[in-house]
Amino acid sequence: MKPPIRAAALALAVLLTASACAKQEEPQSAPAPSGTAGQQVVRTPSGSAGPTCTLEKFGGEKFDLTTATVGFSQSEKEANPFRIAETKSIKDEAAKLGIADLKVTNAQSQFSKQITDVQQLIAQGVRLLVIAPLNSDGWEPVLQQAAAKKIPIITVDRQINAEPCADYLTFIGSDFYEQGRRAADRMIEALSGQGKVAILLGAPGNNVTTERTNGFKDRVKEKAPGITISFEQTGEFAREKGQQVTEQLIQSNPDINGIYAENDEMALGAVTALKGAGKEPGDIKIVSVDGTRSAVQAIADGWLHAVIESNPRFGPLAFETARKFLDGEPIPGKVIISDRDYDSGNAEDALGEAY
Amino acid sequence: MTSREQVSRVLQQHGALMVLALLVVVGSVAFDSFATAGNAASVVVSSSFLAIIAIGMTFVIISGGIDLSVGSLFVLGGVLAAYGSRYGPVVALLLPLAVCAVVGLLQGLVIARTGMAPFIVTLAGLLGVRGLMLALSDEGATTYLVEDPAFAALGQGGVLGLTYPVYVTIALALGAMVLLQRTGFGQNVYAIGGNEQAAALMGVPVARTKVRVYVMSALLAGLAGALNAARLSSGVTILGIGLELDVIAAVVIGGTLLTGGAGGITGTVAGVLLLGVIQSLINQVGNLTSAFQQVVSGAFLALVVVAQRLLSKAQRLS
Repeated sequence: MKPPIRAAALALAVLLTASACAKQEEPQSAPAPSGTAGQQVVRTPSGSAGPTCTLEKFGGEKFDLTTATVGFSQSEKEANPFRIAETKSIKDEAAKLGIADLKVTNAQSQFSKQITDVQQLIAQGVRLLVIAPLNSDGWEPVLQQAAAKKIPIITVDRQINAEPCADYLTFIGSDFYEQGRRAADRMIEALSGQGKVAILLGAPGNNVTTERTNGFKDRVKEKAPGITISFEQTGEFAREKGQQVTEQLIQSNPDINGIYAENDEMALGAVTALKGAGKEPGDIKIVSVDGTRSAVQAIADGWLHAVIESNPRFGPLAFETARKFLDGEPIPGKVIISDRDYDSGNAEDALGEAY
Repeated sequence: MTSREQVSRVLQQHGALMVLALLVVVGSVAFDSFATAGNAASVVVSSSFLAIIAIGMTFVIISGGIDLSVGSLFVLGGVLAAYGSRYGPVVALLLPLAVCAVVGLLQGLVIARTGMAPFIVTLAGLLGVRGLMLALSDEGATTYLVEDPAFAALGQGGVLGLTYPVYVTIALALGAMVLLQRTGFGQNVYAIGGNEQAAALMGVPVARTKVRVYVMSALLAGLAGALNAARLSSGVTILGIGLELDVIAAVVIGGTLLTGGAGGITGTVAGVLLLGVIQSLINQVGNLTSAFQQVVSGAFLALVVVAQRLLSKAQRLS
């Protein structure tokens, strides 16, 4: 009698632990951006560089988006502003265009699950795939299946390491290297070219982290030899991790002058850690990338020095690109969007446009 | 054993199988694209890697232990296989197996010889092995690509619409069933999990059996990682976080008792497929938010455990 009861209780405990790992995010009552403000804009003139792709070259056939099944594979839980805004933008735009059958999956940060998710979307007969990849490598099984069925894949925000126009159609996203360089410019300005800087790195294994890091380091090396990067550790793009790493940072490097966080969530975690350590706003200059409402608010409050935007509202541009492609127009291998920046000069006015 | 006890044991072990059958029927009726060859293949192929690890975990749990290091061994196995593929398919396969076997051997020896709790020893393994993987891959920033086409074919090629890892899984499951039910080693695993002291008094080689069980679990986790690297053509470094919980959940809903001494491979395979089918059904609906997806899968798993409990209780009362 006893063992089964205990086993059932233990099993439940295991399952509860497994399901209790969700992250929290305070609900944000973000006002809808007014007019076209806040929407993505393709960077000109270099926004659409590289060889172009046409429907004919890709080998697909034209279909009607509104009656087709369209798949969107999200990589992470909608538990941070970037992912919430990204998924919402895709869903809203699909509804606006009258795409009746949009299938949305979420890989919950598990890469194996994202591969399976996309394979199951293909099995459900999708004609177009929009993917926010969790990882840049490891897409072989999906690319093979999609290529066999001539399903165009648009990757958003992160890139897949494969051949555009052959393995996938195109990539829509920011120039992350440029974001890193611009963040470095802001850091150099904040520190007047002198001081010690720590980097809170993003999650490993994707191009966003690599490029935001390289852009920042290259620019610092080229413009401000007086700035040394004395600490680098991954905060995995997560707020708690950013806080935890910053707590260790203040202990090990109390003389740090600036923190470059590769996304806003980690920057906000860093702010919490600094508050806990009794620091005042502006004691340590923080520059981050994303442009979430909480971060822009933190600029207004004096905690962050500047934020380089990385716009997650991919819906309109993704479906516009798909429509152009299906109409036979040439599509570039990369569609790079232009990102703004926020600082104390515009933070309060721009709050309504942040996500 | 009376026939009533036999029925109750069958229900305990096959609750997952029955819920699985129910979900497949419901899914086929509710969604046109559920019972298609493509969807079925995606469920079976993706489940095969989890199943390979869960087979090893079944032995560990029946012996009264737990192995939390399998998620880390899975990702390490993949990274080592991708790294080793530059030296040919044999190295790509043997390098991860050898390293994982050593880790399993160390864990098994510590558990068997010092009597330390498997939970703590393998938790140390979980952290240490992931650290090793990060050290090999520049903190996860370097992804080794599989450079050997023969090795990649092992994960990507296949016959009759299913890839080779699925057939490897079936062969391993059959082998494990024979090992567990028809050999002295299998009987020893049950005996240790049932009552370790009694088993020792009866002359069961407790330490040796335990070491073998942990080596087997680590080997299978490494093999799953290697096959997965072949499938993805790369040693992806962000895999396997929390995987041990999925594996344990699959084994337990398959009717293996966490307290040890009872359970089997068929239930485990059913448990793994059940997790895959629940996921597939959520994808068929295709508009649940990530938060709600977790609620649904959590609720399903709780349902299975409760159903098993009620079934075996009702059987005993009648």
